[in-house]
Amino acid sequence: MRYVDEYRDPALARSLSAEIRSLVTPGEVVRVMEVCGGHTHAIYRHGLEELLPDELELVHGPGCPVCVIPMGRVDDAIAIAETEGVTLATFGDMLRVPGGRGSLLEAKARGADVRMVYSPLDALALAAQEPDRHVCFFAIGFETTAPATAVTLLRAGQDETPNFSVFCNHVLIEPPLRAILETPGLRVDAFVGPGHVSSVIGTDAYRFIPEEYGRPVVVSAFEPVDLLQSIAMLLRQRVEGRCEVENQYTRVVRRDGNERAVAAIAETMEPREDFEWRGLGVLPASALQVREPFAAFDAERLFALPGARIEDPKACRCGEVLTGQIKPWECGVFGTACTPERPLGTCMVSSEGACAAYFSYGRLRRPREEAPVGA
Amino acid sequence: MSLEPDRCLTCSDEAVEARVRSVEGLEAVIAIDARVERVAIDLVPDARPGDLLLCHAGIALERLEEAP
Repeated sequence: MRYVDEYRDPALARSLSAEIRSLVTPGEVVRVMEVCGGHTHAIYRHGLEELLPDELELVHGPGCPVCVIPMGRVDDAIAIAETEGVTLATFGDMLRVPGGRGSLLEAKARGADVRMVYSPLDALALAAQEPDRHVCFFAIGFETTAPATAVTLLRAGQDETPNFSVFCNHVLIEPPLRAILETPGLRVDAFVGPGHVSSVIGTDAYRFIPEEYGRPVVVSAFEPVDLLQSIAMLLRQRVEGRCEVENQYTRVVRRDGNERAVAAIAETMEPREDFEWRGLGVLPASALQVREPFAAFDAERLFALPGARIEDPKACRCGEVLTGQIKPWECGVFGTACTPERPLGTCMVSSEGACAAYFSYGRLRRPREEAPVGA
Repeated sequence: MSLEPDRCLTCSDEAVEARVRSVEGLEAVIAIDARVERVAIDLVPDARPGDLLLCHAGIALERLEEAP
């Protein structure tokens, strides 16, 4: 029992599909960006594009936390993992992300102690179990994941764990959205807002999108009916001449989010001056670093890191995919030199990455031959 | 944190909705399909058995409001 049956009801999905068709104008394309990689994955897993009219184009956003990590930070993590006496723990997807010196999985094959965990709290428990080793957690993720790291830092502080640190790469959702909204020739008319990030930061965090950029936002849950309803809500705003933030995920998300989670993040982490994003470049105040009172757990203070900026492979067009400028199949190496088994770019690594979702679920319907000449 | 094929195998930025079976201090035992897991409830400290929680990366992020 997953408590989701009503959100996968085929009759309801068909009814919403019909409503969406009734809300578009023939020949007038509306481009909707789903910000979150979880939404991208759900759209392709459930074949939702097949239920949408030609006038509704989905554009995939930058909300896959694995996809936006630049190669230089992966190399920094490898440097930590290769330090004598150190165990590097991280989420499974991060193990396969290629850096300039290969992936963490390859570092593990060379002898580094790299372990997969489901939670930063598991990494902290590992430190308690193995007091002779230093355990560093390679932290990634948006505001959804930052609370887990914050709680872990707070507990490490309470327990005064001497052999634990965090290599903090948490990123914030607002700066990349602003970067996309300020892209010249922006091709996005409306946004499906991320559901789980919003459970932490609340829906008010997106008010700048309608107020400053004139695009509507609907914060959405992840089941097929949720996503269809959110798209219908966005179209209804357009038809009725409204432009605001609406909340489809009312069973979880509140206007002001979870204040305890926001406070835990603020107590342990602070915005860093800038951070490099794959595909978006260096964005000011777009990521978090460990605060001074928790310096004893900050891997960036404890380890000498290479800190190099590494260019993405020239053939890889992850950056354009992440900003919605091209579809995955328009990249020349999609499905050939770049596959989930041997990813060249990050969008092919995580199951939430747009390229991996296309490869797994939409490849046959989107043959490369459909790509425009010169793509 | 979930192993269902329609969810990310690891973490990424997805969370799962799960029912609380029991609570001990700042830890809840939750049921996800046939599996049970433990999550920290530091951010939802008033969680009680029977509640539905949104869980991610080993912690509960929020309590779900269920239709009556």
